[in-house]
Order: sequence, then C-alpha cells, then structure tokens
Amino acid sequence: MGFVSKAIYFTLHPIQLRSIIQWKVWHNPPHERNPKNDTETQKACFKFLDLTSRSFSAVIKELHPELLLPVCVFYLVLRGLDTIEDDTSIDLKTKEPLLRGFKDFLEQDGWNFTGNRPEEKDRELLVQFQNVITEFKNMKPAYQAIIKDITDKMGNGMADYCIKAAGDDASVKTIEEYDLYCHYVAGLVGEGLTRLFVEAGLANPALLKRSRLHKSMGLFLQKTNIIRDIREDFDDERRFWPQEIWSKHVDNFEDLFKPENRELALNCNSEMILNALEHVEDCLFYLAGLKEQSVFNFCAIPQAMAIATMELCFRNYNIFERNIKITKGDACELMVQSTQNLQILCNTFRQFARKIHKKNTPKDPNFLKISIECGRIEKFIETIFPSQKAADAQLQVKGELTAEQAKKREEDAENKADIYFMMLLMGAVVLFVAGTMMGVAWWFGARFDLAWKELTSGNFRPPPQVAAKAAAKAAASASASIRNEL
Amino acid sequence: MDAKAIDDILASKKVLISGGTGFVGSATVRALAEKHPRCAITVIDRSPPRSQHALPEGISCMQVDVTCMPEVSQAGIVPGLADRFGRRLEKEVWRINVVGTQNMLDAAMENGAEAFIYTSTCCVVTDDMRSSYANIDERWPTSSNLLIYGESKVIPHGCLATAEALVLNASSDKMATCALRPSVLCGPGDYQLVPAIHACIAKYETPFIIGTGQNLWDVTHVSNIADSHILAVENLVTSRTAAGEAFFIQNNEPITFRDFCLAIWAHFGHIPPFEIQIPESLAYLAGLLCEIVTWLTGTTTTLSRGSVRDACAVRYAHGDKAREILGYEARIGIEDAIRLSCEEYAHRIGVELPT
Repeated sequence: MGFVSKAIYFTLHPIQLRSIIQWKVWHNPPHERNPKNDTETQKACFKFLDLTSRSFSAVIKELHPELLLPVCVFYLVLRGLDTIEDDTSIDLKTKEPLLRGFKDFLEQDGWNFTGNRPEEKDRELLVQFQNVITEFKNMKPAYQAIIKDITDKMGNGMADYCIKAAGDDASVKTIEEYDLYCHYVAGLVGEGLTRLFVEAGLANPALLKRSRLHKSMGLFLQKTNIIRDIREDFDDERRFWPQEIWSKHVDNFEDLFKPENRELALNCNSEMILNALEHVEDCLFYLAGLKEQSVFNFCAIPQAMAIATMELCFRNYNIFERNIKITKGDACELMVQSTQNLQILCNTFRQFARKIHKKNTPKDPNFLKISIECGRIEKFIETIFPSQKAADAQLQVKGELTAEQAKKREEDAENKADIYFMMLLMGAVVLFVAGTMMGVAWWFGARFDLAWKELTSGNFRPPPQVAAKAAAKAAASASASIRNEL
Repeated sequence: MDAKAIDDILASKKVLISGGTGFVGSATVRALAEKHPRCAITVIDRSPPRSQHALPEGISCMQVDVTCMPEVSQAGIVPGLADRFGRRLEKEVWRINVVGTQNMLDAAMENGAEAFIYTSTCCVVTDDMRSSYANIDERWPTSSNLLIYGESKVIPHGCLATAEALVLNASSDKMATCALRPSVLCGPGDYQLVPAIHACIAKYETPFIIGTGQNLWDVTHVSNIADSHILAVENLVTSRTAAGEAFFIQNNEPITFRDFCLAIWAHFGHIPPFEIQIPESLAYLAGLLCEIVTWLTGTTTTLSRGSVRDACAVRYAHGDKAREILGYEARIGIEDAIRLSCEEYAHRIGVELPT
C-alpha cells in the first residue's frame, strides 16, 4: 500500500489507526533483548529468525531471557526441517533419511545443507545452519534433549507423510487423520514449547500431565490456518480439509469452489470451524497454567489472532475466492488485549464467540451444534471468571451489601459530599460578589431604602415619566462625558 | 456398588410416585420400570392415567388428592408442580405444593419410608426475573430465603421453595430426602414449551428477536430428568450421600433462547425470512400494553412482561454437583432432545416434518 492510499485508508478507519498507535506507544515488552553482547552466532540466529518468521520473531524476542535462545533455536530447527520437507525438487530417497536423521545433525558441528533448489525461500537458513548448531550446543542439556526429541518425532512424521504422498493420494480422509496431520505440524511444537516452559519453571508442571491441553493449542492454530488458506492451498494442489467433512456437503472437493455451490461451501466452512472451535476451552485452560507474563504473551497472541480469524472466516465466502486476513489495526488491538491477563483475553474470546454465534444461521445443518459450542465456550469462561458469586447473592437476599457494593456506596457518598461542598462554595462566592457590588453601589449613594419602600408598596416598575427622565439623564450624562473627553 | 447390587436392593423396595400420570411423573415411572423391572411401583395422582403420558404395564394407579389425607407406601417420589400459573390460582397452588408436600412427608414418615425425593424446579433460585443467573450452582439462595427475609415483591415460586425447604429439612437417619431442580423441560408429552414456540410460526412472530438474542438458557429433555430421579433413588437407598441436598438437573448444554426457537422452527421447515431486533425495554413496554389489552378484552397473547423477561433472561446452572454426587449425565443431548420433541409434537398435531 502506498503512502497516499494508506493515508486515505486510515482517515476512513480512524479506530484502526488508533489501535496501531496504542500498540506501538503503550506496549512495554516484559523483557527487552540486549543485542550488544550477542556473539556472532547469536546474531546470525536472530537474523534468520527475522528472515523466516514475520509473526513469531517479535514475540520470541520479548521472551524471558532464560528461554529466549532455546525458543529461537527451536523455531529455526523446525523451520530448517520444514524447508527440506517443502522442497519438491529433492527426491524421496534423499529426503527421507534427511528428515529422519535431522535430529542427529544438531550435534554435528558445522553441519549445513546446500541441496535445496534456489527458489526455496528459506534456503539460506540451511546453508548457514552451523550457526544454529553452535547455539544449540551452548544450551542447557535439558533444553537440548527436548528440542532433539521433538525434532525426531516431527522428522519421522514428515517422512511418513512424504512416503504416503508419493505412494498415492496425499489428501486427508478422516477427521482422525486431519487431527494427526495437525498434531505433527503444530501439536508437537506445542508439546516442545510446554516442556521448555516447565523446564524453565515458567509454567505449571500440570500442563505436561494433561497432554490434551498443549495439543489443542497447536491444533487450534493449525486448523485456523488450514481453514483460512483453503484457496491458496487449493491453487497449490494441496488439500487439508478432511474428506469426512467436505463429502457431507459436496461430491468432489473442487465443487466447493464453484459459484453455484456457494451455500454448500459455506456450510462446509462452518463445519470446519465448528471442528476447530472444539479446542477453544482447552486453549483457555492451558493459558491459565502459564506463570510468566512474556510466556503468556507468547502463547496468547497467536490464540487471540486465531479466534479472530475464525470469526472473520465464519460464513464468509471470500475464503473460497482469495486469501483473507485480519487488518493490521485489528491485529494490534488483539495484541493489546492478549498481552495483559487471562481475564481480558477471555473477554476477547467471549466477544468473538458471540460474533460467530450472531452470524450462525438455521439454514446451516450444523446450526445447533455451533450454537451449543458457542454456549459451551461462554459457560467455560463464566466458570473461570464468574460474573456473579453465590456469596454475593446470599448477601443480597439478606439485604446486606457485598464488598464491592459497599465500596461503591461509600464512593457515591463521598462524591455527594464533594458536590454539596462545591455548591456551598459557589453560593458563598455569589453572595460575596453580590454583597460587594451592592456595598459599592450604596457607597456611591444608591438609595436602597427608597427602592425597598417602592417594592413593598407593590411598584415593581419605575413610573413611566421617571423611566423617561432617567433615560434622558443617562443620555445627557453620556454626551457630557463624551464632550469632556473631547 | 455395582449396578447389579443396586438392582437387587431396589427389587425389594416399593416406590410410590405422586403425580405419576403427568409429564415428568410418567417419564419417571417408565424409566424406573425399565431400569429396575422388579421394583414395585405405585402411582398416585389426582387424574387417572392419561393417553398422552403412557405408563408401562403392571403399574398400580390410585386416584388420590394429596391435599387430603394421602395414602403413602414405603418410599415416595414426589414430583411437584413446576408450572407457571395465574394469580387467581396462587392459593390453590400453595395448597397443593406446601400442604400437599407436608401431607406426603408426614405420611411417608408415619409409614416408615426410607427415602423421599422432591421434584423442585430451578425457578426456586431463578425467581427474581430482574436478575441474571449465569452458571449458578446449589450454593445460591432460594426464594424461600426471600420469604424469610421479608421481601415484598411477588415471588411466583415462593411456595415451591418453601416446599423444597420442608423436604430438605425433614431429612433424617430414618428417612433420607433430597430435591431435584430441573430447568425448562421438553420432550414427548410437552404441552407448553415446544407447542408455544411452534405457534409463533402461524402468528408471524418469528422474525422478532427480543433483547440481544445472546442470553443462554438450560433446557432439559424429560427423560434426562427421569434418569436423575432414578439415580437419586439409588443413592438414597444405598450410600445416601445425597441426603438433605438439592441438585440442579439440566442438559448442561446451555444455548440461547433464540437459537432454541430457531432450531424448533427449522425442524418444521420454517426459517425467519428476516430478523428484527427489539430492545428489551421496548418489548417490556409492549408486553405491558398487551397485558392491558388482554385484561380489557379477555383474550390471550404471547407477549407479556413476564414472557419478555423470560425471553431475555440468562439462566443456566453448573451441573457439577449432580455429576459428582448422583453420577448424573444427560443421556439425551440437547440436539437430539429438540429433534425428538419436534418429531413427537409433529406426530401429535398430524404434521409431516420436512427432511
């Protein structure tokens, strides 16, 4: 967008601009990285982080110093793995051992990979992968073990998927397969990060016992991307929407994009979103287990973006025609809301759940299921942050006041006293000014006694001749004074 | 204790169900006869068995007025009357609920009953329609508290709350009592909820949304309520952990009142052609006007101040206590509940549902 078009856009959307400014001006990173003392390899890692990720690099750099490098290295390792998997120019025979053995390269000093085709966008990361390996080896052994384990699982998962894709049909059949695919590409990241957080003492260890929670964190994000990118993936001949869902609405996957199937496509879209919304409760539950602000921000921002994206995509036919995104202003507002505390984040989630609910229509075969899901999200939020408490209701019945009400009443009383005081003060000032003026008039010879007498006898107006005389006299004195002036 | 052992215990018991020919009562009789076929069931009601509320074979029925001297066997289940009622009926309702419940309690104790279950309603808590009740639980005060503290406003379900308190206070080592508080009900034999909502189609009332349309409600399928009664009986004749306790019973799937209506209309093939949102305050005023008109003309209308408040109220409860103590889970989910209710109602009025 050029400057002029930007200027026009923000003039027409001042709230968007306000959100962007609010984020830029008011956001205080919980931890700020000091790049001065970075070693050469650390600098290289952060450079690649900026190059490979637009959305994640900012939040990673604000992470607690203890986790800053481990998470950065973790991200780069997975990105490296992804770059090998994505490259269709590498044949399966070469690719499979690379993916399965990637975990071992992490321990080979100076390992790098130059076999990617030139147009692969993150090729340079693998060409200079020795920097990542150096930093990997500088980390605490516990962190190394976690990253290695996840790399192992993900590498094998990707290799299995590549073999399957080469064999016959790579498209996702059942919902179970869909969940498994999402688990490999995103759920495992959730697991690795959770283990890092817990190892660093920045998250509740219970999060590891309930593996469903961190799985859901990854799945919700991944499913959001899959739903949003349907058109882009279709154009690239990739299909992630499970057949189990789309076949309920259309006979062939391509039919989703035919204009005559608009309603069917929308119903399919809402069933996909319904499937993703089932993870929301787990995500909020997970976020409640994070102890440290920067870790909370790191996890909460993508989740808030995801629910907002879900709302944007819900019953929006545009997703079948082009790639849609939330606006920058909305993204900034979401970042402001998701970098404070869980309660504010929950309000954001409730707000989007209600928006989704509002767009829901009985024409949709999943109307009731979506409605129930939105209700479930709202009930869950109400359970963690009750809007009313039983104890307060008990007090109300007895005619007593809750602490909050008592405080409010006290404040009201204080405000009232303030207002009375101000009124008294103003009254006193008015009386003083009026008194002074009358005193001055008396001193100059005003006959209040005569005025009083006239008033008490009922003459509220001056007699006509007196009034005329007074007017003439005033005019004469005025002209006299003018003459004197001259 | 396993299911077999409980069944054996119940095989030797006699169960008396008062109001057993009604909506909840007959569902409870059917559920009990199915789960514990060896258990001896007796039904007492003011009305004889009705065709719309089928009872299983081999159930002995007696026509009894509980407000007179009741005849009570060894264990009792007493569904109360949880319906909205006109002001004229208030005295009568008070008599049935409070006097009737006291009579039943006295008779049950006299005859050495082991257990006594009272069917209350969630309205004993959600009575003050001006408040909203989001995710309430059993710690919330009932309107019997309101009576005790001398509230002067109208308390439509004060008598039920009073009756419930009578029952819960009567719980002792000899006779364990508990109370179940179902939410709004639907299901086969429902003559109030689904028919009233369905009637809106013919009256062209479906496009109007009163309030925000975002207020959540609990609705419960009647057979889930019946299940909860059986679970309560089983509890009170075995571990008795439910003695003296009240439980909210619902489907635990709150949905908005608007969506509940839309889903019913959709089953009958109707989708509102457009939607108009009416602010609650305006609707309340309209309700008042309608009430005046009906008072003058003596007709009936869908709209009243009460129905506006009802449509805008947030009322759903937390189901944890019933789950933990009684082991209650809704067997019929709300989606099926709505479908079954619509199918049964369509059959009853002779309408073919679109597929």
